[in-house]
Amino acid sequence: MRRHRSLLALALAAAPLGAQSIPVQAHTLSNGLKVLLVERPGQPTIGTAWAAHAGSASERPGITGAAHLLEHMMFKGSEVIGTQNRSLDRELDAQQDAIYAGITQELDVLRMKQLRGEIADMQDPKVRSPRHQKLAEELATLVKQQQGLLKNGEFDTAYTEIGAPGTNAFTSNDVTAYVLTIPANRLEFWAWMESDRLNTPVFREFYPERDVVNDERRLGEAQPTGKFEEAFEALVWQAHPYHWPVVGWASDISTISRPELQAFFKRNYAPGNITLSLVGGFKASEVLPMLERYFGRIPANPQGGTRVVTMEPKQAAPQRMIAEAETTPAARVVWKTVAQSHKDETALDLLGRILGATSGPLRRNLVLSQKLSTATSAHHQAQKYGGTFTLNGVAAQGKAPEDVEKGLIAELERIQKGGVTEEELQKAKNQSLANHARALDDNLGLATALAQTDAICGYEDLLRKPDETRAVTREDVQRVAQTYLVPEGRNTLIYLRKSTAKETK
Amino acid sequence: MRAALFTLLPLLLSAQAIPERPEKTAAPTLVFEAPKPSEHRVKLKNGIVVFLVNDSTAQPLVTLNVRIKSGAYLDPAGKTGLTSAWCSLLRSGGTETLTPDQLDARLDFLAANLTTRSGETFATLSLNLLEKDFREGLSLVSDLLTRPTFAQERLDLFKRSTLQGLERLNDDPRSIERYQLALLTRGRDHYTATWPTAEELKGLNREDLLAHHARLIHPENLVVALGGRFEETAVVKLLNETLGALKAGKQGVPSPNPPRPTAFPKPGIYVVHKDNPQGRVTFAMPGLDEADPDWVPVEVMNFILGGDFTSRMTYLIRTQEGLSYTVNSRFTPGSLLPGTFTSIFQTKARSVAYGTRLMLGELKRIQEAPVTDQELAMAKGALVNGFPARFSRPAAVADLLMAAHFNGLPEDRLTRYRARVQAVTQGDILRVARKYLPLDKLVIQIVGNWDVMEMGDSKDHPGKLSEMALLPVVRLPLWDPMTRKPLEK
Repeated sequence: MRRHRSLLALALAAAPLGAQSIPVQAHTLSNGLKVLLVERPGQPTIGTAWAAHAGSASERPGITGAAHLLEHMMFKGSEVIGTQNRSLDRELDAQQDAIYAGITQELDVLRMKQLRGEIADMQDPKVRSPRHQKLAEELATLVKQQQGLLKNGEFDTAYTEIGAPGTNAFTSNDVTAYVLTIPANRLEFWAWMESDRLNTPVFREFYPERDVVNDERRLGEAQPTGKFEEAFEALVWQAHPYHWPVVGWASDISTISRPELQAFFKRNYAPGNITLSLVGGFKASEVLPMLERYFGRIPANPQGGTRVVTMEPKQAAPQRMIAEAETTPAARVVWKTVAQSHKDETALDLLGRILGATSGPLRRNLVLSQKLSTATSAHHQAQKYGGTFTLNGVAAQGKAPEDVEKGLIAELERIQKGGVTEEELQKAKNQSLANHARALDDNLGLATALAQTDAICGYEDLLRKPDETRAVTREDVQRVAQTYLVPEGRNTLIYLRKSTAKETK
Repeated sequence: MRAALFTLLPLLLSAQAIPERPEKTAAPTLVFEAPKPSEHRVKLKNGIVVFLVNDSTAQPLVTLNVRIKSGAYLDPAGKTGLTSAWCSLLRSGGTETLTPDQLDARLDFLAANLTTRSGETFATLSLNLLEKDFREGLSLVSDLLTRPTFAQERLDLFKRSTLQGLERLNDDPRSIERYQLALLTRGRDHYTATWPTAEELKGLNREDLLAHHARLIHPENLVVALGGRFEETAVVKLLNETLGALKAGKQGVPSPNPPRPTAFPKPGIYVVHKDNPQGRVTFAMPGLDEADPDWVPVEVMNFILGGDFTSRMTYLIRTQEGLSYTVNSRFTPGSLLPGTFTSIFQTKARSVAYGTRLMLGELKRIQEAPVTDQELAMAKGALVNGFPARFSRPAAVADLLMAAHFNGLPEDRLTRYRARVQAVTQGDILRVARKYLPLDKLVIQIVGNWDVMEMGDSKDHPGKLSEMALLPVVRLPLWDPMTRKPLEK
C-alpha cells in the first residue's frame, strides 16, 4: 500500500453491497480494457479506480513482493512525465542496472557465506567486500546524478496542482488497484495521466524505492504481532501463493531487479487484464469516446495475465501455532473455505455476521456471561482463489487462551447442531444490506469496489449480492457451518504474553 | 437543499489528437460555492444548535453526531478515568427502557452504527442508520442522553477491557510514542497526558457515572450535526420533540474550558528505549490557533514543507533517500487547547540519526530562502482546486460546520478560504516559516533501540544520533501503566 492502510479496509467493507441497484454501464474498449461507469450528475468530484487483475498470488518464489513493489514504481512517471532529459535518464537507468548485476553477484557470494554460517546477515553493510562497497557507492552516485535530472515526483505534483492530491494505490493477494478522487472538470487530465503510465511507464528511482518498501515491511515487523501474523498466514496456506505475504519475504524484496518487475508488468498490466471504474459527475456518452482515445492506444498482449493454477489441497490435519508475543493472550481459529465466486460465499458471510454481531453469541456468552474473553469477533474473508473463516477471542485477565478457544468452538458447534434463529439471520441480512447503501454513498469507495470485484470474479457479483443475501435460509447457514468448519480444517493461533521486564533498561 | 451548489459547464472534448502534455487537456470551468453555516443552522427550542446538511441525491442514510463539551479535565480528584468510562458506558450501559442486551440487539437489527468517543475537549455520540429508521434511532439516542442506566455488568466489562489496554501500553512502539509525547509536550500533570491507574479504575462506580452525566447534560454543552438524506421540516420537528426537549437537571452546568498546559519542554533529544527494528521520530514545537490570521499562510507553508505527499520532507526522506515509508508534518489547529507542530518519520534503527539530520535540514531550509514559484503554485492549486472534494459527503459537511461552531471560528471562514489561499505570497511563507517553526524550542522524541540508533549508519551515512541536532540528549523511562509512575531506568 502506498500511503495509508485504511483504504484496503474500506474496499473490503464495501464488498457486501445490496439494497438499491447500482446503475453500472459496462463497456469493453477495442484493446480489451474493461470500463465500468456510474453517473452521478451534479457531483463536483469523480471517484476513479483501475485494477490490474493481479496481486501477489501472481508472483513466484524469489520475486515475492513484486506486485506490491510494482505498485510503488507505477508512480515514477513515464517517457514524458518525470524527467527533464529522457535520453540521459534512460542511460543512467541502464548503468544502474549493470552495476546492480554486479551487486547481485556479490549478494550470491554473501548468501553462500550466510548459509555456511560465516556471516549473520548478508544485507548488513559491514560484511560487504571492497568490490561490493565500491559498487554500492557507484550505484548511490548514479542515483544521485539521476535525481538531478528528475522533475521531483512529477506524477504526484501534476495531480496535486489540479486539486487531486490523494494519489494512492493498494495491493492485495488478488488485485492491484490505483485510486484517486479528482475534480469533475479534470477527467481528461486523468485519462491522459493514467493511460500514459500504462502505455510507457518508466521505473526510475527503482533502488531507493525498493528501500522504501523494505521500510514498509519493517513497519509490520515493528508491531508486536507482525512476524507471527505472517508466519500464521504461511501456515494456513500450504501450497497456494496466498502462502507468502503481499509485501514479500525480506530476502526477495532486497534482491529483486528492475527487469524482473518489467516482465511482471508486461504480462499483468496489459489492457485485457485491467478494469477501470468511474463514479461521479460526468456523462457516460461524453466520456466513452475519450476513454477509447486515450486508453485504446495501449497495445493488447494476447499472452494474457499470469495463470494461477495451484489449487490448495484439502487440509489433512488440524494445525496449531503458539506464539509468545508482547501482546494480550488470545485465541484465533481459521478455516480455509470457498472462493469469492462460490455459491456458498454469501451464507458463510452471514454466518460470520451472526456469530460476530455485537448482540451475537460470541460476545453474549464468552464476553458478557462467562467472562472468558474481553473481545470477540467472527468473519468470512472472500478472495479470488479461496476464502478464510475466522473466529477470534481475547482472553480476559487470568483466563487461558486455550479456554477461549474451546468457547469459540463451542459456540460454533451450537450452530452446527442446532442452527440459527430467524431473528439472528434477519439481523445479519439487515447489516449486509445496510452496508451496501453505506458503500454506495462514497464515489471512490464504489469505484474501487467495482474495479476490484471485477478483477476477482466479475463486477456483477457485487450487483447480485443483495438478492443472494436475501435468498439465504437458516438451513444454508447451518449447512455451510457443518460443511466447511470441520475439526481437521482448523488452524489455531494461540498468543501468550512474553515478559518484557528484562527489556526495560 | 444540496450540500453544495455546483455547475459543470458542458464538457468540451478536445480535438481527436492526444496532446503531448497533460496540462493541455480540456478543463471546463467548475463553479462551486462553499456552504454557508447560516443556511444550515437551526436552533432547537432549548437552545441546542443543529447543523443540517441534506442531500436528496445521497443514499437513504442519516448520520447524527452529538458533540458534548467534556474531557478528562472534568474528572474529580482521585477519579481519573471517569469521563472516559462515562462516555463508553453511555453507549453500552443501557437505558431505563432497554437493558444493555436489548439495546445491542435492537441496534443490530436496525443495522445501526452507534458509537461514542471521548476526546480531549468533547465527547461524540454518533449514529448512522437507514433513513427509514431515523425516528426510532433518534428516540434511542434521546433515551441514552436523558435516561441512561450505566449497568454494573457493563461497567465491570469496561474495567476489564481498560485494564487489558493498560497492560498493552508498552507493547507497541506506536503506543509508547503516543503516551510519551503527551507526557513530554503537555507535562505529566496535564489531563491529556494522564490515564487511570489500576487502583483508580477499580474505584469507579455507577454513582460516579450518574453524577457525571447529570453534570454534563446541559443544552449549552451540546451541539448537533445531521447529514444525509432526509425531509428537513419533519426532521427539525422530530429533533425539537427529542433533543429539543432535553433540559438541564439541578446538577447540570455548562462545562468550563479545559486548562491549558503551562510549559513546553526544554529543547532536547528525548529518547525512550525500546528494542525494535525501527526507530520512531517526532519533532515537536508550539503551534498556533486555527482562528489566527496566519493560519492559512501556515497551511500553505506546511503543505510545501511536509503536509502533502509531494512535500519537501517526503521527497527527500522517502523518495530520494528511501529511508521511511511515512514522512509528514502537520500543524494541529489550536482552539481550546494550544496548537502544535509535529513532523514524523520512522526508519530502521541505524538510519534514525541520518533521517533526523535531513528533517532538521528541511526545517531550516524553508526559513532561509523563499519557496519556488512552482512549489507555491502547486500548493495553492491543491488547496483551491481540491476544495470542493471536502464537501462531497453531507455528513462530513455537517460535521465540519459543527466543529467550526464549537471552536468559535468565523462564519465566513469557508467562503473566504480560497481567496485567502490565493493571496498568500512567497514573502508570507518565509515570514510564517520563521515565526512558527521556532527551532530554539524544538524537541525531538525518539522511540527505539538506543544503542543501534546512537551508532548511526557508519558505512553509508556516518554520524552519531547525539551529534545530529546539537541538543542535549535526555533518556526517558517507560512508565508503569498500572501505577502511572516512571519505571526504573
